[in-house]
Amino acid sequence: MSDAEKRFDPVKLLRDVRDGSMDAWAKLTLKLTSSHEYQRLQGVIMKPTFLAIALWRKATESTMSGVLGNLNMPSREEVLMISQRLTNIEMALDDLGAGLDQLRRGTNASTRQQRSGTGRSGDNGGEARPPLSAKGEA
Amino acid sequence: MAESAPGMLEKFQTMFDNLVKVTTTKAPIGQTPKQAIWRLNKATLYRYTPVKPDEERHRTPLLLIFALMNKSSILDLRPGSSFVEYMLNKGYDLYLLDWGAPGPEDAHQDLGDYVLEYIPRAIRKMKQVSGSETFNLLGWCIGAMLSTLYGSLRGQQEGLRSLILLTAPLDFTDTDQISLARMTDERYFDVERLLNAFGGNMPAGMIDYGAKMLKPVENFVGGYTRLFDNLDNTKVVDSWHAMNTWVNDPIPLAGGAYRQFIVDFYRGNKLMNGTLSIRGEKVDLRELKASVLNVIAMDDHITPPCQSARLMDKVGSADKLELKVAGGHIGVMAGSGASKGTWPKVESWIAARSD
Repeated sequence: MSDAEKRFDPVKLLRDVRDGSMDAWAKLTLKLTSSHEYQRLQGVIMKPTFLAIALWRKATESTMSGVLGNLNMPSREEVLMISQRLTNIEMALDDLGAGLDQLRRGTNASTRQQRSGTGRSGDNGGEARPPLSAKGEA
Repeated sequence: MAESAPGMLEKFQTMFDNLVKVTTTKAPIGQTPKQAIWRLNKATLYRYTPVKPDEERHRTPLLLIFALMNKSSILDLRPGSSFVEYMLNKGYDLYLLDWGAPGPEDAHQDLGDYVLEYIPRAIRKMKQVSGSETFNLLGWCIGAMLSTLYGSLRGQQEGLRSLILLTAPLDFTDTDQISLARMTDERYFDVERLLNAFGGNMPAGMIDYGAKMLKPVENFVGGYTRLFDNLDNTKVVDSWHAMNTWVNDPIPLAGGAYRQFIVDFYRGNKLMNGTLSIRGEKVDLRELKASVLNVIAMDDHITPPCQSARLMDKVGSADKLELKVAGGHIGVMAGSGASKGTWPKVESWIAARSD
């Protein structure tokens, strides 16, 4: 055994002790947090906490909607409703855009068919694959 | 021999710089160039800028879908340690569906919205941009669950060629093995009370706390001791910093979807029992006919192997493979060994189904 290997390293010893105790601690904690007793305790703590948060939220919301109403401004619910309606409009526009695109591709394909008279079209409804540039975007 | 004084000084300087870096900044993650090609509400479909010329690229595009409660940047953590970068270098036309963070206005969003509204529309756009009628889909964690539901309900009609599932939580039969199932046991955990308290959504902090409590010492202490031990090693610190930035940036989960996860999956195990319906449509796994690669992480404590394995007997696919790999829930794809372990295996399987 070389001198370097024989040399006492207090840092390594401390590190080993730390790792060993952490390992034991981890196993113990895991056993504890995995138990039904721990989950039950967590449930007991969470129930009144959630109730208190919900009551606080309700109180602030009703106060705020009163204030906003007096200021002739839309309430939180109204803003949320507008947002949901916007998402629905976005979806409708997306479908419309896709439908128009399909129509355009169909028209392009039939125009090409008429011009060539061969009756053949490409894989993609007659439309060429968009360029997939290695440098830029399609 | 003991280190020289200047050497020691330099080491301490490095340690100090690294400590300042990790405590005061966020690591730059998700840096691979990409372009948003479609948006709907908070969701965005990105197309990564290809690095291979057209003739060297696979013809079938690949769509990546990650979980709803964490950012998808884990797929592109940092240069040299990015699954996205790896796949681009292998010649894939790569797309990412990023869910974004739901606000209070999205509290009603459920699995039906994600599976039947967002994913089909994103795929329609991807098909339009790529010019391909077929596509491959890779889902990770809850993303794998959504991809499985999509594959069963719409995959056949919409050209799903192959489905890659990473650590998919699908089977909730063996609740003794699933720590999250115990945590959300209906005897102790009231979903409605929680959602009501927080305005309809599951808060990001609660999700983070729940995930970390599955291995409390490792998550709350272990990570920092590992950092402390390697503080003079900038390479290790950078890797730690990137992962820590991602881990500590969770996003809320839409209340409707969260309620379904807990009630229909964790408590009801409806997908495996064959009783799950999404917007009135029965989800039948036998309808999933695309090729399936089911990647199971053997050391996963969030989605233990028992949650993914039984899927293989249920799907209707003729071409299916179960791949067991060493690693945890995240480490399997973003750990230091992923680039030599999981990625090449996943890539070679997809490559055979991409031209």
